[in-house]
Amino acid sequence: MEGKFFSRRDFLKTAGAAAAMAAIGDIPADLFASDVRMAKFPEKTDMILRTSRPPQLETPLHYFKQFITPNDAVFVRWHIANIPTTVDLMQWRLNVGGNTGKELHLSMDDLKKFERVTYTAVIQCAGNGRSFFEPRVAGGQWGNGAMGNVTWTGARLKDILAMADVKVGSVDVSFNGLDTPPLPKVPDLVKSLPVEKAMEDDIIVAYEMNGKPLTMLNGFPARLIVPGWYATYWVKCLSDIMVLQKPFEGFWVKTAYRIPDNPCGCVPPGATPTKSIPINRMTTRSLIIDPADKTKIKADRPVDIMGIAFSGGYGIRDVTVSLDGGKTWGEARLGEDKGKYSWVQWFYKWKPTKPGKYMLMARATNSIGESQPFEGLWNPAGYLWNKIEKTEVVIK
Amino acid sequence: MKKIVTLIMLVLAVTAGFVYAGNSDNVHSIKLPNITTDLKPGEGKESVDIYCIMCHSLDYITMQPNFSRAQWTVTVNKMIKTFGAPINDKDAKIIINYLATQYGTGK
Repeated sequence: MEGKFFSRRDFLKTAGAAAAMAAIGDIPADLFASDVRMAKFPEKTDMILRTSRPPQLETPLHYFKQFITPNDAVFVRWHIANIPTTVDLMQWRLNVGGNTGKELHLSMDDLKKFERVTYTAVIQCAGNGRSFFEPRVAGGQWGNGAMGNVTWTGARLKDILAMADVKVGSVDVSFNGLDTPPLPKVPDLVKSLPVEKAMEDDIIVAYEMNGKPLTMLNGFPARLIVPGWYATYWVKCLSDIMVLQKPFEGFWVKTAYRIPDNPCGCVPPGATPTKSIPINRMTTRSLIIDPADKTKIKADRPVDIMGIAFSGGYGIRDVTVSLDGGKTWGEARLGEDKGKYSWVQWFYKWKPTKPGKYMLMARATNSIGESQPFEGLWNPAGYLWNKIEKTEVVIK
Repeated sequence: MKKIVTLIMLVLAVTAGFVYAGNSDNVHSIKLPNITTDLKPGEGKESVDIYCIMCHSLDYITMQPNFSRAQWTVTVNKMIKTFGAPINDKDAKIIINYLATQYGTGK
Protein backbone atom coordinates (compact mmCIF):
# COMPACT_ATOMS: atom_id res chain seq x y z
CA MET A 1 0.00 0.00 0.00
CA GLU A 2 2.87 2.37 -0.85
CA GLY A 3 1.82 5.96 -1.29
CA LYS A 4 -1.82 5.20 -1.63
CA PHE A 5 -3.96 8.25 -1.33
CA PHE A 6 -6.82 9.59 -3.31
CA SER A 7 -9.46 12.25 -3.24
CA ARG A 8 -12.80 11.47 -1.77
CA ARG A 9 -14.28 11.73 -5.26
CA ASP A 10 -12.05 8.87 -6.39
CA PHE A 11 -12.90 6.94 -3.28
CA LEU A 12 -16.59 7.19 -4.05
CA LYS A 13 -16.06 6.12 -7.64
CA THR A 14 -14.55 2.90 -6.38
CA ALA A 15 -16.95 2.42 -3.54
CA GLY A 16 -20.05 3.14 -5.55
CA ALA A 17 -21.45 4.78 -2.46
CA ALA A 18 -22.60 7.90 -4.28
CA ALA A 19 -24.84 5.93 -6.58
CA ALA A 20 -26.29 4.01 -3.66
CA MET A 21 -26.96 7.18 -1.69
CA ALA A 22 -28.45 8.99 -4.65
CA ALA A 23 -30.79 6.06 -5.15
CA ILE A 24 -32.28 6.45 -1.68
CA GLY A 25 -32.38 10.21 -2.00
CA ASP A 26 -29.94 11.27 0.72
CA ILE A 27 -26.87 12.93 -0.70
CA PRO A 28 -24.45 14.54 1.75
CA ALA A 29 -22.84 17.27 -0.33
CA ASP A 30 -19.50 17.16 1.44
CA LEU A 31 -18.92 13.74 -0.03
CA PHE A 32 -18.34 15.47 -3.33
CA ALA A 33 -15.65 17.83 -2.11
CA SER A 34 -12.55 16.82 -4.04
CA ASP A 35 -9.97 18.67 -1.97
CA VAL A 36 -9.93 16.04 0.78
CA ARG A 37 -7.05 13.61 0.51
CA MET A 38 -7.58 10.13 1.86
CA ALA A 39 -4.78 7.77 2.85
CA LYS A 40 -4.33 4.20 3.99
CA PHE A 41 -1.81 3.66 6.76
CA PRO A 42 -0.87 0.35 8.41
CA GLU A 43 -3.60 -1.03 10.74
CA LYS A 44 -5.83 1.90 9.68
CA THR A 45 -8.77 2.20 7.35
CA ASP A 46 -8.96 4.95 4.72
CA MET A 47 -8.56 8.13 6.74
CA ILE A 48 -8.56 11.83 5.94
CA LEU A 49 -4.92 12.74 5.42
CA ARG A 50 -3.97 15.94 7.21
CA THR A 51 -0.22 15.28 7.21
CA SER A 52 1.93 12.28 6.35
CA ARG A 53 5.20 12.82 8.28
CA PRO A 54 4.59 12.61 11.11
CA PRO A 55 1.13 11.19 10.40
CA GLN A 56 -2.00 13.10 11.31
CA LEU A 57 -5.06 11.16 10.17
CA GLU A 58 -8.65 12.23 10.76
CA THR A 59 -11.65 9.95 11.17
CA PRO A 60 -14.41 10.39 8.55
CA LEU A 61 -17.51 11.48 10.48
CA HIS A 62 -19.71 8.59 9.37
CA TYR A 63 -17.74 6.28 11.68
CA PHE A 64 -19.35 8.12 14.60
CA LYS A 65 -22.65 6.44 13.76
CA GLN A 66 -21.05 3.59 15.68
CA PHE A 67 -21.10 3.89 19.46
CA ILE A 68 -17.54 2.56 19.72
CA THR A 69 -15.00 3.78 17.19
CA PRO A 70 -13.26 0.81 15.53
CA ASN A 71 -9.50 0.64 16.15
CA ASP A 72 -8.68 1.09 12.49
CA ALA A 73 -10.73 4.32 12.36
CA VAL A 74 -9.40 6.04 15.50
CA PHE A 75 -7.63 9.30 14.58
CA VAL A 76 -3.85 9.54 14.58
CA ARG A 77 -1.79 12.50 15.72
CA TRP A 78 1.99 12.54 16.18
CA HIS A 79 4.11 15.61 16.91
CA ILE A 80 7.71 14.84 15.99
CA ALA A 81 8.86 12.99 12.90
CA ASN A 82 10.75 9.98 14.25
CA ILE A 83 7.87 7.79 15.32
CA PRO A 84 8.30 4.18 16.39
CA THR A 85 7.45 1.64 13.69
CA THR A 86 8.83 -1.46 15.43
CA VAL A 87 8.48 -2.45 19.07
CA ASP A 88 9.93 -5.68 20.45
CA LEU A 89 8.14 -6.55 23.69
CA MET A 90 11.21 -8.52 24.80
CA GLN A 91 13.10 -5.21 24.75
CA TRP A 92 10.39 -2.71 25.66
CA ARG A 93 10.14 -1.67 29.30
CA LEU A 94 8.09 0.92 31.11
CA ASN A 95 10.68 2.67 33.26
CA VAL A 96 9.53 4.47 36.38
CA GLY A 97 11.92 6.55 38.47
CA GLY A 98 12.90 9.96 39.74
CA ASN A 99 11.74 10.89 43.22
CA THR A 100 10.73 7.33 44.08
CA GLY A 101 11.82 4.72 46.60
CA LYS A 102 12.83 2.39 43.78
CA GLU A 103 13.15 2.26 40.02
CA LEU A 104 10.84 0.04 38.00
CA HIS A 105 11.48 -1.51 34.61
CA LEU A 106 8.17 -3.14 33.86
CA SER A 107 7.73 -5.59 31.00
CA MET A 108 4.35 -6.03 29.34
CA ASP A 109 3.85 -9.17 31.46
CA ASP A 110 4.60 -7.11 34.59
CA LEU A 111 2.13 -4.45 33.50
CA LYS A 112 -0.58 -7.06 33.01
CA LYS A 113 -0.10 -8.31 36.59
CA PHE A 114 -1.60 -5.10 37.96
CA GLU A 115 -5.36 -5.05 38.46
CA ARG A 116 -7.00 -4.87 35.04
CA VAL A 117 -9.17 -1.77 34.61
CA THR A 118 -11.57 -1.24 31.69
CA TYR A 119 -13.75 1.73 30.77
CA THR A 120 -14.93 3.62 27.72
CA ALA A 121 -13.57 7.12 27.21
CA VAL A 122 -13.61 9.73 24.47
CA ILE A 123 -10.18 10.42 23.04
CA GLN A 124 -10.04 13.88 21.52
CA CYS A 125 -7.23 16.01 20.16
CA ALA A 126 -6.92 19.43 21.83
CA GLY A 127 -7.11 20.98 18.36
CA ASN A 128 -10.19 19.10 17.16
CA GLY A 129 -12.29 21.61 15.18
CA ARG A 130 -9.38 24.03 14.74
CA SER A 131 -10.25 24.64 11.08
CA PHE A 132 -13.52 26.28 12.19
CA PHE A 133 -11.77 29.08 14.09
CA GLU A 134 -12.35 32.55 12.72
CA PRO A 135 -9.93 34.21 12.26
CA ARG A 136 -8.08 31.04 11.28
CA VAL A 137 -5.13 29.91 13.37
CA ALA A 138 -1.98 27.95 12.56
CA GLY A 139 -1.74 24.27 13.45
CA GLY A 140 -3.27 20.99 12.41
CA GLN A 141 -6.37 21.93 10.43
CA TRP A 142 -8.74 19.35 11.89
CA GLY A 143 -12.42 19.18 11.14
CA ASN A 144 -14.44 17.39 13.81
CA GLY A 145 -12.88 13.97 13.23
CA ALA A 146 -9.93 14.16 15.65
CA MET A 147 -11.90 12.23 18.24
CA GLY A 148 -13.31 8.80 18.95
CA ASN A 149 -14.97 6.69 21.62
CA VAL A 150 -12.85 3.74 22.68
CA THR A 151 -12.94 1.08 25.40
CA TRP A 152 -9.54 1.12 27.07
CA THR A 153 -7.97 -1.56 29.27
CA GLY A 154 -4.85 -1.19 31.35
CA ALA A 155 -3.21 -0.79 34.74
CA ARG A 156 -3.92 2.09 37.09
CA LEU A 157 -1.15 4.68 37.03
CA LYS A 158 -1.52 5.10 40.79
CA ASP A 159 -0.89 1.38 41.34
CA ILE A 160 2.29 1.61 39.27
CA LEU A 161 3.37 4.75 41.16
CA ALA A 162 2.59 3.05 44.47
CA MET A 163 4.85 0.14 43.53
CA ALA A 164 7.62 2.63 42.73
CA ASP A 165 6.94 4.32 46.09
CA VAL A 166 6.52 8.02 45.32
CA LYS A 167 8.42 10.06 47.90
CA VAL A 168 7.07 13.09 49.72
CA GLY A 169 7.90 16.41 48.09
CA SER A 170 6.95 15.23 44.61
CA VAL A 171 5.32 17.90 42.45
CA ASP A 172 4.87 16.66 38.88
CA VAL A 173 5.04 13.37 37.02
CA SER A 174 6.38 13.39 33.46
CA PHE A 175 5.65 10.95 30.66
CA ASN A 176 7.83 10.20 27.64
CA GLY A 177 7.25 7.87 24.72
CA LEU A 178 9.41 6.19 22.08
CA ASP A 179 9.11 8.97 19.49
CA THR A 180 12.22 11.10 19.04
CA PRO A 181 12.97 14.50 17.46
CA PRO A 182 14.18 14.70 13.85
CA LEU A 183 16.74 17.39 14.76
CA PRO A 184 18.57 17.85 18.06
CA LYS A 185 16.92 21.15 18.95
CA VAL A 186 13.35 19.96 18.34
CA PRO A 187 11.88 19.45 21.83
CA ASP A 188 11.08 15.80 22.58
CA LEU A 189 7.39 15.20 23.25
CA VAL A 190 7.28 14.85 27.02
CA LYS A 191 4.12 15.68 28.96
CA SER A 192 3.44 16.04 32.66
CA LEU A 193 0.64 15.97 35.20
CA PRO A 194 0.60 17.41 38.71
CA VAL A 195 1.31 14.52 41.11
CA GLU A 196 -2.13 14.76 42.73
CA LYS A 197 -3.75 14.42 39.28
CA ALA A 198 -1.48 11.49 38.41
CA MET A 199 -2.67 9.67 41.57
CA GLU A 200 -6.36 9.82 40.59
CA ASP A 201 -8.13 6.46 40.34
CA ASP A 202 -9.15 6.61 36.69
CA ILE A 203 -5.85 7.31 34.95
CA ILE A 204 -4.47 4.13 33.40
CA VAL A 205 -1.58 2.89 31.32
CA ALA A 206 -3.60 1.17 28.60
CA TYR A 207 -2.36 -1.85 26.66
CA GLU A 208 -5.65 -2.63 24.93
CA MET A 209 -8.11 -0.62 22.88
CA ASN A 210 -11.47 -2.27 22.24
CA GLY A 211 -10.09 -5.57 23.55
CA LYS A 212 -7.11 -5.69 21.18
CA PRO A 213 -3.50 -4.54 21.50
CA LEU A 214 -3.09 -0.88 20.56
CA THR A 215 -2.37 -0.21 16.90
CA MET A 216 1.17 1.05 16.41
CA LEU A 217 -0.03 4.47 15.28
CA ASN A 218 -2.28 4.74 18.35
CA GLY A 219 0.59 3.99 20.72
CA PHE A 220 1.56 0.30 20.83
CA PRO A 221 2.41 -1.22 23.25
CA ALA A 222 0.99 1.10 25.91
CA ARG A 223 -0.23 4.66 26.28
CA LEU A 224 -1.38 6.87 29.08
CA ILE A 225 -5.14 7.45 29.33
CA VAL A 226 -6.24 10.58 31.17
CA PRO A 227 -10.02 10.28 30.74
CA GLY A 228 -11.88 13.57 30.55
CA TRP A 229 -8.73 15.45 29.55
CA TYR A 230 -7.52 16.20 26.04
CA ALA A 231 -5.41 13.52 24.39
CA THR A 232 -2.26 15.65 24.40
CA TYR A 233 -1.61 14.01 27.79
CA TRP A 234 -2.29 10.49 26.53
CA VAL A 235 1.37 9.82 25.69
CA LYS A 236 1.76 7.04 23.12
CA CYS A 237 4.35 4.23 23.07
CA LEU A 238 4.94 5.15 26.69
CA SER A 239 8.43 4.27 27.93
CA ASP A 240 9.43 6.56 30.80
CA ILE A 241 7.61 7.94 33.81
CA MET A 242 9.57 10.34 36.01
CA VAL A 243 8.43 11.63 39.38
CA LEU A 244 9.73 15.17 39.81
CA GLN A 245 10.48 17.31 42.86
CA LYS A 246 10.31 20.49 40.78
CA PRO A 247 7.64 21.69 38.35
CA PHE A 248 8.11 20.17 34.88
CA GLU A 249 9.62 22.73 32.49
CA GLY A 250 9.40 20.93 29.14
CA PHE A 251 8.32 22.78 26.00
CA TRP A 252 5.11 20.79 25.39
CA VAL A 253 3.67 21.83 28.77
CA LYS A 254 5.40 25.12 29.57
CA THR A 255 5.07 26.71 26.12
CA ALA A 256 2.77 24.61 23.96
CA TYR A 257 -0.74 23.31 24.67
CA ARG A 258 -1.73 26.31 26.76
CA ILE A 259 -5.06 28.05 27.04
CA PRO A 260 -5.99 31.51 28.35
CA ASP A 261 -6.28 31.45 32.15
CA ASN A 262 -9.95 32.41 32.46
CA PRO A 263 -13.25 30.52 32.77
CA CYS A 264 -13.92 30.34 29.01
CA GLY A 265 -10.32 29.68 27.96
CA CYS A 266 -10.88 32.35 25.37
CA VAL A 267 -9.84 35.86 24.33
CA PRO A 268 -11.33 38.28 21.79
CA PRO A 269 -10.47 37.03 18.26
CA GLY A 270 -6.90 37.99 17.43
CA ALA A 271 -5.97 38.99 20.98
CA THR A 272 -3.05 37.60 22.99
CA PRO A 273 -3.87 36.15 26.44
CA THR A 274 -2.20 37.93 29.34
CA LYS A 275 -1.92 34.72 31.37
CA SER A 276 -2.11 31.08 30.32
CA ILE A 277 -2.33 27.62 31.89
CA PRO A 278 -1.78 24.10 30.53
CA ILE A 279 -4.85 22.79 28.69
CA ASN A 280 -6.71 20.20 30.74
CA ARG A 281 -10.35 19.03 30.85
CA MET A 282 -12.40 18.79 27.68
CA THR A 283 -15.26 21.15 27.01
CA THR A 284 -18.80 19.83 26.53
CA ARG A 285 -19.65 18.99 22.93
CA SER A 286 -22.34 17.54 20.74
CA LEU A 287 -22.38 16.81 17.05
CA ILE A 288 -25.06 15.85 14.57
CA ILE A 289 -23.76 12.81 12.70
CA ASP A 290 -26.81 11.79 10.69
CA PRO A 291 -27.98 13.41 8.48
CA ALA A 292 -24.65 14.81 7.33
CA ASP A 293 -24.33 18.50 6.50
CA LYS A 294 -25.92 19.58 3.18
CA THR A 295 -27.89 16.37 2.79
CA LYS A 296 -30.94 16.47 0.52
CA ILE A 297 -33.92 14.55 1.86
CA LYS A 298 -37.31 13.85 0.32
CA ALA A 299 -40.28 15.37 2.14
CA ASP A 300 -42.79 13.28 4.10
CA ARG A 301 -40.20 10.69 5.05
CA PRO A 302 -39.35 10.24 8.73
CA VAL A 303 -35.81 11.34 9.52
CA ASP A 304 -34.00 9.80 12.47
CA ILE A 305 -31.57 12.50 13.51
CA MET A 306 -28.65 10.96 15.36
CA GLY A 307 -25.62 12.39 17.03
CA ILE A 308 -23.13 12.12 19.85
CA ALA A 309 -22.42 14.18 22.97
CA PHE A 310 -19.74 14.12 25.65
CA SER A 311 -18.02 16.23 28.25
CA GLY A 312 -14.77 16.34 30.16
CA GLY A 313 -15.61 13.59 32.65
CA TYR A 314 -19.07 14.68 33.80
CA GLY A 315 -21.28 12.69 31.47
CA ILE A 316 -24.21 14.25 29.61
CA ARG A 317 -27.40 15.40 31.33
CA ASP A 318 -29.36 16.33 28.25
CA VAL A 319 -29.17 17.15 24.56
CA THR A 320 -31.63 19.50 22.93
CA VAL A 321 -32.20 19.73 19.20
CA SER A 322 -33.42 22.62 17.07
CA LEU A 323 -34.82 22.21 13.57
CA ASP A 324 -35.24 25.93 12.92
CA GLY A 325 -31.80 27.42 13.46
CA GLY A 326 -32.13 27.78 17.23
CA LYS A 327 -35.59 29.35 17.63
CA THR A 328 -37.22 26.33 19.24
CA TRP A 329 -35.66 23.33 20.94
CA GLY A 330 -36.81 19.80 21.80
CA GLU A 331 -35.17 17.20 23.99
CA ALA A 332 -33.38 14.29 22.32
CA ARG A 333 -33.54 10.72 23.60
CA LEU A 334 -30.21 9.60 25.03
CA GLY A 335 -28.86 6.12 24.24
CA GLU A 336 -26.91 3.69 26.41
CA ASP A 337 -24.90 5.18 29.29
CA LYS A 338 -21.37 3.80 29.20
CA GLY A 339 -20.10 5.99 32.01
CA LYS A 340 -19.04 9.58 32.51
CA TYR A 341 -16.03 9.46 30.16
CA SER A 342 -17.84 7.87 27.21
CA TRP A 343 -19.92 9.72 24.69
CA VAL A 344 -23.63 9.10 24.51
CA GLN A 345 -25.54 8.67 21.32
CA TRP A 346 -28.70 10.74 21.04
CA PHE A 347 -31.72 10.40 18.78
CA TYR A 348 -34.42 12.78 17.61
CA LYS A 349 -37.34 11.91 15.36
CA TRP A 350 -38.41 14.39 12.69
CA LYS A 351 -40.94 14.18 9.89
CA PRO A 352 -40.34 17.15 7.62
CA THR A 353 -43.35 18.01 5.45
CA LYS A 354 -42.52 21.35 3.86
CA PRO A 355 -39.71 21.57 1.28
CA GLY A 356 -36.98 24.08 2.00
CA LYS A 357 -33.72 24.62 3.81
CA TYR A 358 -33.56 23.61 7.48
CA MET A 359 -30.86 24.47 9.97
CA LEU A 360 -30.44 21.65 12.50
CA MET A 361 -28.58 22.30 15.74
CA ALA A 362 -27.77 20.25 18.83
CA ARG A 363 -26.72 21.46 22.26
CA ALA A 364 -25.45 19.26 25.08
CA THR A 365 -25.26 20.00 28.81
CA ASN A 366 -23.23 17.91 31.23
CA SER A 367 -24.08 16.88 34.80
CA ILE A 368 -22.53 20.01 36.31
CA GLY A 369 -24.32 22.37 33.92
CA GLU A 370 -21.52 23.02 31.44
CA SER A 371 -22.89 23.51 27.94
CA GLN A 372 -21.96 24.87 24.52
CA PRO A 373 -21.75 28.42 23.17
CA PHE A 374 -23.74 29.69 20.16
CA GLU A 375 -20.68 31.49 18.85
CA GLY A 376 -17.20 29.97 18.65
CA LEU A 377 -14.93 30.96 21.52
CA TRP A 378 -11.50 31.99 20.23
CA ASN A 379 -7.98 31.37 21.51
CA PRO A 380 -4.68 31.72 19.60
CA ALA A 381 -3.81 28.01 19.45
CA GLY A 382 -7.24 26.80 18.36
CA TYR A 383 -8.17 24.62 21.34
CA LEU A 384 -11.39 23.77 23.27
CA TRP A 385 -13.65 24.06 20.21
CA ASN A 386 -17.25 23.33 21.23
CA LYS A 387 -19.49 25.75 19.37
CA ILE A 388 -23.03 24.54 18.70
CA GLU A 389 -22.60 23.16 15.18
CA LYS A 390 -25.11 23.77 12.43
CA THR A 391 -26.16 21.10 9.97
CA GLU A 392 -27.98 22.30 6.89
CA VAL A 393 -30.53 19.95 5.38
CA VAL A 394 -32.57 20.51 2.24
CA ILE A 395 -36.03 18.98 2.09
CA LYS A 396 -37.22 18.51 -1.47
CA MET B 1 37.29 -30.72 11.72
CA LYS B 2 35.22 -29.48 8.85
CA LYS B 3 32.39 -31.75 9.99
CA ILE B 4 32.55 -30.40 13.53
CA VAL B 5 32.45 -26.80 12.31
CA THR B 6 29.49 -27.63 10.11
CA LEU B 7 27.75 -29.30 13.04
CA ILE B 8 28.38 -26.33 15.32
CA MET B 9 27.10 -23.96 12.65
CA LEU B 10 24.01 -26.10 12.22
CA VAL B 11 23.34 -26.10 15.97
CA LEU B 12 23.83 -22.32 16.08
CA ALA B 13 21.52 -21.84 13.12
CA VAL B 14 18.79 -23.99 14.66
CA THR B 15 19.15 -22.25 18.03
CA ALA B 16 19.07 -18.80 16.37
CA GLY B 17 16.03 -19.84 14.39
CA PHE B 18 14.29 -21.03 17.52
CA VAL B 19 15.07 -17.84 19.42
CA TYR B 20 13.98 -15.75 16.46
CA ALA B 21 10.68 -17.61 16.18
CA GLY B 22 10.16 -17.07 19.90
CA ASN B 23 10.73 -13.34 19.55
CA SER B 24 8.68 -12.73 16.45
CA ASP B 25 5.42 -12.98 18.40
CA ASN B 26 6.68 -10.13 20.53
CA VAL B 27 7.70 -7.87 17.68
CA HIS B 28 5.13 -5.46 16.32
CA SER B 29 6.15 -3.71 13.11
CA ILE B 30 4.57 -1.46 10.55
CA LYS B 31 5.84 0.09 7.34
CA LEU B 32 4.76 3.67 6.78
CA PRO B 33 3.54 4.61 3.30
CA ASN B 34 5.68 6.97 1.30
CA ILE B 35 3.38 9.88 0.55
CA THR B 36 4.65 13.01 -1.15
CA THR B 37 3.16 16.46 -1.57
CA ASP B 38 4.09 18.71 -4.48
CA LEU B 39 4.18 22.41 -3.71
CA LYS B 40 3.13 25.03 -6.23
CA PRO B 41 5.94 26.17 -8.52
CA GLY B 42 7.37 29.56 -7.66
CA GLU B 43 10.47 31.49 -6.67
CA GLY B 44 12.00 29.99 -3.55
CA LYS B 45 10.33 26.56 -3.84
CA GLU B 46 13.73 24.82 -3.81
CA SER B 47 14.58 26.27 -0.39
CA VAL B 48 11.22 25.22 1.02
CA ASP B 49 11.67 21.72 -0.41
CA ILE B 50 15.11 21.37 1.16
CA TYR B 51 14.60 22.86 4.61
CA CYS B 52 11.01 22.12 5.58
CA ILE B 53 11.15 18.39 4.89
CA MET B 54 14.02 18.01 7.36
CA CYS B 55 11.36 17.84 10.05
CA HIS B 56 7.97 17.39 8.41
CA SER B 57 6.14 16.56 5.21
CA LEU B 58 5.09 19.42 2.96
CA ASP B 59 1.39 18.85 3.58
CA TYR B 60 2.08 20.74 6.83
CA ILE B 61 2.23 23.76 4.50
CA THR B 62 -0.60 22.96 2.09
CA MET B 63 -2.91 22.17 5.03
CA GLN B 64 -2.73 25.72 6.41
CA PRO B 65 -5.24 28.41 5.51
CA ASN B 66 -3.97 31.31 3.42
CA PHE B 67 -2.01 33.38 5.90
CA SER B 68 -0.77 36.94 5.62
CA ARG B 69 2.94 37.59 5.18
CA ALA B 70 3.10 38.54 8.86
CA GLN B 71 1.56 35.21 9.91
CA TRP B 72 3.89 33.16 7.70
CA THR B 73 6.80 35.14 9.18
CA VAL B 74 5.70 34.14 12.68
CA THR B 75 5.44 30.49 11.63
CA VAL B 76 8.84 30.35 9.91
CA ASN B 77 10.49 32.12 12.84
CA LYS B 78 8.92 29.58 15.19
CA MET B 79 10.45 26.77 13.15
CA ILE B 80 13.87 28.42 13.47
CA LYS B 81 13.80 29.73 17.04
CA THR B 82 11.63 27.16 18.81
CA PHE B 83 12.33 24.03 16.79
CA GLY B 84 15.91 24.79 15.80
CA ALA B 85 15.56 24.59 12.03
CA PRO B 86 19.04 25.42 10.61
CA ILE B 87 17.87 28.18 8.28
CA ASN B 88 19.91 31.37 7.91
CA ASP B 89 18.36 34.83 7.55
CA LYS B 90 18.74 34.89 3.78
CA ASP B 91 16.98 31.55 3.28
CA ALA B 92 14.34 32.45 5.85
CA LYS B 93 13.44 35.51 3.76
CA ILE B 94 13.25 33.39 0.61
CA ILE B 95 11.02 30.82 2.35
CA ILE B 96 8.71 33.43 3.86
CA ASN B 97 8.39 35.15 0.50
CA TYR B 98 7.52 31.87 -1.22
CA LEU B 99 4.91 30.91 1.40
CA ALA B 100 3.34 34.37 1.47
CA THR B 101 3.16 34.44 -2.32
CA GLN B 102 2.02 30.88 -3.06
CA TYR B 103 0.09 30.01 0.11
CA GLY B 104 -0.80 33.42 1.44
CA THR B 105 -3.30 36.20 1.16
CA GLY B 106 -0.77 38.24 -0.80
CA LYS B 107 -0.82 40.88 1.93
